[in-house]
Amino acid sequence: MFTLLGQLILDGIVTGLVYVILAVGLVLILSVSRIFFIAYGQFYMLGAYIVWGSLTLLKVPYFVGLLMAIAATTLLGLLCYQFIFRYIQYRGSFLANIVAAIGLMMIMGQAGLLIFGTIARSVPPVFPGILSIANISIPVEKLILVILTIFIALTAFFIYEKMKLGRAMRAVSLHPEAATLQGVRTNRIYLATMGFGCALAGFGGGVMAPVYVIYPEMGTNIILSVLLVIMLGGQGSMLGAVLGGLVLGITLVFGQYFLGGLAQIFLFVVIGIILFFRPGGLLGHAELEI
Amino acid sequence: MVTQNWKYKTKNFRYRKLITFIGLVLIFVGLPFIVHSPYYIHLLIIAGMNAILAMTFIMILRTGLISLGIAAFWGIGAYASAAFVMKGEVSFWLALPAATVITGLISWAVGYLLVRNPGFGFLILTAVIGMLISLVFGNISWLGGFTGIEYISPPNPIDISFLAPILFISKIPYYFLMLGLFLLVLISFWALYHSSTGRAWMAIGLNPHLAESIGVNVFRYRLIAFVIASAVAGLEGSFYAHYIGSINPNAFNIFKTINIHIYAILGGTGSVFLGPIIGTLIMTFVPESLRIAKEIEPILTGALLILLIIFLPGGILSLFNLRHRHSEGTAGITRAIKKSFLLIGKKQKETHAPS
Repeated sequence: MFTLLGQLILDGIVTGLVYVILAVGLVLILSVSRIFFIAYGQFYMLGAYIVWGSLTLLKVPYFVGLLMAIAATTLLGLLCYQFIFRYIQYRGSFLANIVAAIGLMMIMGQAGLLIFGTIARSVPPVFPGILSIANISIPVEKLILVILTIFIALTAFFIYEKMKLGRAMRAVSLHPEAATLQGVRTNRIYLATMGFGCALAGFGGGVMAPVYVIYPEMGTNIILSVLLVIMLGGQGSMLGAVLGGLVLGITLVFGQYFLGGLAQIFLFVVIGIILFFRPGGLLGHAELEI
Repeated sequence: MVTQNWKYKTKNFRYRKLITFIGLVLIFVGLPFIVHSPYYIHLLIIAGMNAILAMTFIMILRTGLISLGIAAFWGIGAYASAAFVMKGEVSFWLALPAATVITGLISWAVGYLLVRNPGFGFLILTAVIGMLISLVFGNISWLGGFTGIEYISPPNPIDISFLAPILFISKIPYYFLMLGLFLLVLISFWALYHSSTGRAWMAIGLNPHLAESIGVNVFRYRLIAFVIASAVAGLEGSFYAHYIGSINPNAFNIFKTINIHIYAILGGTGSVFLGPIIGTLIMTFVPESLRIAKEIEPILTGALLILLIIFLPGGILSLFNLRHRHSEGTAGITRAIKKSFLLIGKKQKETHAPS
């Protein structure tokens, strides 16, 4: 009984951690830049494909591929901000932001489909083997995923909470005009947040690539769960995103074990109940104003 | 003297509007007798449907909410109507209002959960609904799974005693059915926007906190807008199911909603009726005449969206310096709010003065 419970919780955490990293990145963009960046899933897809390409075509070590994925998505995120969102941001129109993000999502999704083809791909095993402690077994690949994800999440938290850049980000997310008056270059902070968030997406995709299958629609499919995680954890709260991701992963795994095909419906019932009693999410404070 | 002149002018302006409206209706009534190509009639029908969907998007937008789930309610209406007719053996003329009511009820239940957290919360939850709906319909085997429902029977023929029965075989009866629905929706929307509900929506769209402070129940009016818009989308879905004859879950995914957004934004979100109609007509006829390849179509659409929002945020209508109903109305509302504040101040002064 203990073994089963431990195994299920571990699986849930592994499933949830990828949602955690993506949700943290998206919450950053959402709360600091105020961009409803729905194209985020495509960055995740791009990260996974870059790792796949660098491992199968360029034959470089896995960590080099991961770094390449992060660099590429960061660069693309910065370019997106410089060439699209910079011209929209100052207007303060929320509709404009979301529409531009939707346009980006359509372009990137279809371009991915045209470039990479519709075939599902998988990266050759990077770290073979299975580790088992006290009858709870975990593949080494997933263990690496867990360690890397926790490390990166902690780094993100350190940057956001302790460093000067993070403090500036928090100031901008609280009140952009007041932050400008205090000498924060708001535009630079928006740019940095975009790059940082997209780097997290690329990292998430790259770290997922050896564990799961890669296909062009994976970005569109995951953004749904990531949005749910953000809703569950509380909009604009990074700690909430972590909690929401773990709750989602564990709920999904438990539902799949005990209910089978009804797991998705079980998940939505759980989320519906949580949102009914706590409209702001688990750790949500007041609603994020548009 | 000046005020009289102004009154006369507005009166004249109103009549001109009415005459233009009637003229346009007559043109659209006469159109199928001039245009014989069934293909163009089909495009007009689809354009009419999309224009109404874009209008529902603008109705929700007016209350300060952005919905990404319009196509979901459209799909619920389509599935409800198809299920009524195919499984329940009900006449189309009963299924159409029934589908509308069912969509309205579902959107009321869902909206109760969604509208409570405006801003990002509403956006995220409607996006989740919009993406989820094709999965939900795909997993219900009673509704045909991912292949959907096929061979949906056309509307029952209308029997009028002294005329030949109207059969729904060619496109033309569908065209007139669409025109009738379009006018019904248009007139009811016009009446709504000019009622106290519409004024409350406008006040909420301008500043929800201010509206709340002067006694507008923001949650209730937002919910009303959401339910009405979703019910109308359901009505259109019912029409669509019986017009096309087969529905499958992927027709109602989030990309349909995005297309609806494009229609509204291209025309201009500042206008309630004219913007969606112009945007839909352009987006329906121009890509068809250019015959763009299906693979690169989403890329072009996305690029168009980004370019539009950067260079022409007000839509096509902003090019012509039209006097929008909206701008007039908003100015009126701000004046009314200011007046009410002044009144409150005066009343307080009056009550303080005797004591």
